[in-house]
Amino acid sequence: MNTSPIELNHVTKTYGDFKAVDDISFTVPEGTVCGFLGPNGAGKTTSIRMMLDILRPSSGTISILGARRALDVRSRIGYLPEEKGLYKKMTATAMIAYFATLKGVAGGEAKRIAGELLEKYGLGSFQNHKCEALSKGMGQKVQVLASIAHDPDLVILDEPFSGLDPVNQGVMEEVIQDIRSRGKTILFSTHVMSHAERICERVVIMAAGRLAFDGTVDEAKSLLPRRVRVKGKGAGAALEQLKDVTHSSPSSDGREGVAEFQLREGADPQQLLKCAFEQNISLEIFEVVNPNLHEVFVHLVGEEAREAAYR
Amino acid sequence: MMQIYRIAHREYMENVKTKGFWIGILLFPILIWMMIELPKFLEERGIPTRHLVIVDRSEGLGEIARQRITLLNRQKTLGELQQHIAKATEEQRKEKMEEVDIDPDQLLDQLEQGLDQLGNPDLEIQPFKPDQLVKIGDLLPEQMLLNDLQWNNIKKLLLSQLPDDAPEFIEPPLRFKEVTLPEGVSLTDGDQQIEDALRPYLRSEMMLKSNDEEVELFGLLIIPENALEPKARVRFWSSNLADTDLIDTVLDSLSEEARQQEYDRRGIESKAVAEVASMRVRSIKFNPNKSEGDEKVGIRDKIRQYAPIGFVYMLWVAIFTIAQMLLNNTIEEKSNRLIEVLLSSVTTTELLLGKVFGVAAVGVTMQCAWIGSLIGILRYKSGPSATWIADLIAAVITPELLGGFVFYFIAGYFFYAFLFAGIGSICNTIKEAQNFMSPLMLLMMVPLGTMTFIPNDPNGAIATTLSWIPPWTPFVMMNRMAASPPASEIYGTAIMLLISVVVVFWLSAKIFRIGVLRSGQPPKLLELFRWLRGSHS
Ligand SMILES: Nc1ncnc2c1ncn2[C@@H]1O[C@H](COP(=O)(O)OP(=O)(O)OP(=O)(O)O)[C@@H](O)[C@H]1O
Ligand SMILES: [Mg+2]
Repeated sequence: MNTSPIELNHVTKTYGDFKAVDDISFTVPEGTVCGFLGPNGAGKTTSIRMMLDILRPSSGTISILGARRALDVRSRIGYLPEEKGLYKKMTATAMIAYFATLKGVAGGEAKRIAGELLEKYGLGSFQNHKCEALSKGMGQKVQVLASIAHDPDLVILDEPFSGLDPVNQGVMEEVIQDIRSRGKTILFSTHVMSHAERICERVVIMAAGRLAFDGTVDEAKSLLPRRVRVKGKGAGAALEQLKDVTHSSPSSDGREGVAEFQLREGADPQQLLKCAFEQNISLEIFEVVNPNLHEVFVHLVGEEAREAAYR
Repeated sequence: MMQIYRIAHREYMENVKTKGFWIGILLFPILIWMMIELPKFLEERGIPTRHLVIVDRSEGLGEIARQRITLLNRQKTLGELQQHIAKATEEQRKEKMEEVDIDPDQLLDQLEQGLDQLGNPDLEIQPFKPDQLVKIGDLLPEQMLLNDLQWNNIKKLLLSQLPDDAPEFIEPPLRFKEVTLPEGVSLTDGDQQIEDALRPYLRSEMMLKSNDEEVELFGLLIIPENALEPKARVRFWSSNLADTDLIDTVLDSLSEEARQQEYDRRGIESKAVAEVASMRVRSIKFNPNKSEGDEKVGIRDKIRQYAPIGFVYMLWVAIFTIAQMLLNNTIEEKSNRLIEVLLSSVTTTELLLGKVFGVAAVGVTMQCAWIGSLIGILRYKSGPSATWIADLIAAVITPELLGGFVFYFIAGYFFYAFLFAGIGSICNTIKEAQNFMSPLMLLMMVPLGTMTFIPNDPNGAIATTLSWIPPWTPFVMMNRMAASPPASEIYGTAIMLLISVVVVFWLSAKIFRIGVLRSGQPPKLLELFRWLRGSHS
């Protein structure tokens, strides 16, 4: 069976005249961690809800774990919605166990798993606390655990990091890594590029309802030319002339006397070093700056993001 | 299926754990208990002996009034004595379940014999059966009660017949007690003078002395010289005119005396008058719907006719209880977005059914507890010999009636439950929900209003018309069941109600599906229609 866990084909969702999701197609291969990125209002949550069959697409088709409707394979999917909440009066354990049983885990087994998960991710002492007594972040962790307690093959998390402190963001990353290490597929949406960069193999970037990028993180980074930062007497003037340099400017990190050169796509940064050596320019600093996901993101969707903000 | 069960199970467990549930369960029997016990309690503790002053200007009328007051006092004591006897002989009477036929005349003879023997220690008293002991109080003629010696001996005799381990009988305080005028006031003073002098006592500003005790003066009764003449007025002073027992008693006795004198004056034999006055024309009621020989309308039929009202109220209360729970739960799930997780795990239908079943189970638990405690309390209070509970149950548990109740109860219940769940799904706060609830509640008030007249004309035009309006069908039909409405109507309305339940369910599911994902203002009616047409999902 070669179907990917998530496949979207020309999916569109309209609200009245407004296209919240506009003809997007992408697939997430099995066993990968896929980041789902995009500015506010890009249509991430809408897309995720359609994947889970909570919303129906206006047009296009979706296949989840080979099924047309997510509900047919619901016991194999774990889902954390964007807005988090818990049953206030239930204990953390009961809450996790309940959602596991809804996914087909037997009652006793579900309780055991719930206890184990809470223990494992640092909430052991809160097992019997009512959910209303948990802090927002702790509650969110409980909810994430509730969504994965039945050991699903596909986990979809809508902004799992929001509202967590740095330590718990780390725990969250750990949770995702653990799921992935068992060969499961994960899609999560986030606004924090560093998380995506650290744990994703693939990213899907949306902007204004349309697909802006779909591919591996490396492919995403190669969308932006690499840059080289140099400091040395006369280096700026000399290197600027090279044909692979498309743009030069003072360093974007603001260091005094450091020049930054943007290279043509595919160009080798070693050229600059060679050139400086040939021209006898002594370099105090020479560093190759790979674009990070943040920059790729801003590059791809910066315009739309700002536009969306003003809309 | 499993999913529905799990949702229902959670819903049930969570609701059962709430304080509200237990308050609901316990409050009912406590209220019933208080309704039964409170008046008794108040009577026992609350009404102390009332002290009164009687100023008698007539010839002998004061004595008549006094006698009647004594009778009242003794009847009260007798009542308590009977209760005491009933309690003390409860065990014995329970053992002997067979009904003893009591012949009043023979029993009174036996009593008189007993009274004779009481004075003579050599004679063995013929023992009374426990049932007779309880009953005898009802048979005592007034003269016996008014005769001081006989009264005391009767008490002694009855108490001597109780089992050895019976607790002591404590005589209750007298209901009314006459006291003499305070110092400085004398009967020879004029009415006006006496009234003025007693005013501070009647206002409780001053206390009277009676047997070295300070007592409050309850009333002053002045019987005028020719009290029996039409223009005469008995003057009654009391700061508590709401307690009319005393003055009623006195006026009764005086009126009786007036009539007696009038009969004598006209030469009418008063005994004959009493006999004539006691004549009654009686009726037997027949119901043409009953099979031949069975047409007589008895107590069971009465119960049968009114039992439906009980069921209608039950359904009404049931719907009210669940409405709140369903709204609260749906709105909680909606406002904390758990609904999304739920909807990724179960279908809307499963979720809706699970919730409604779970909450229904809570409602049923509560109702069973209520009915159980009600029957328990009534049984306990009325003793094991009470047959009316059996009557009630027998009246209700005839297959066709019970079948009808159960069907209409369940159908009505789900009709409204689905409706409330649908409403819950489009509201974000209880407050918003209230706006939708008010018209619904009004809708539900209508059948309550019709309940009193439907039993009078159960197959009339109004009842028939109302039966065909789905939100009212269950109430009205339950109310009519006892009157055997035509089969075509029973089946017709039943089928229509079933279809309505399915339709309401379908509409709710649809609204639920869209509503639960929405935040912001509840939709306008027009928007709801658009949802239902399916152009938005
Ligand atoms: N029920 C709805 N009715 C109308 N418009 C909607 C509805 N739901 C979402 N939208 C619109 O669709 C667009 C996409 O929303 P969506 O929630 O998918 O964005 P998102 O990418 O998840 O944004 P964020 O990062 O802020 O969570 C937004 O412009 C939003 O206003
Ligand atoms: Mg979102």
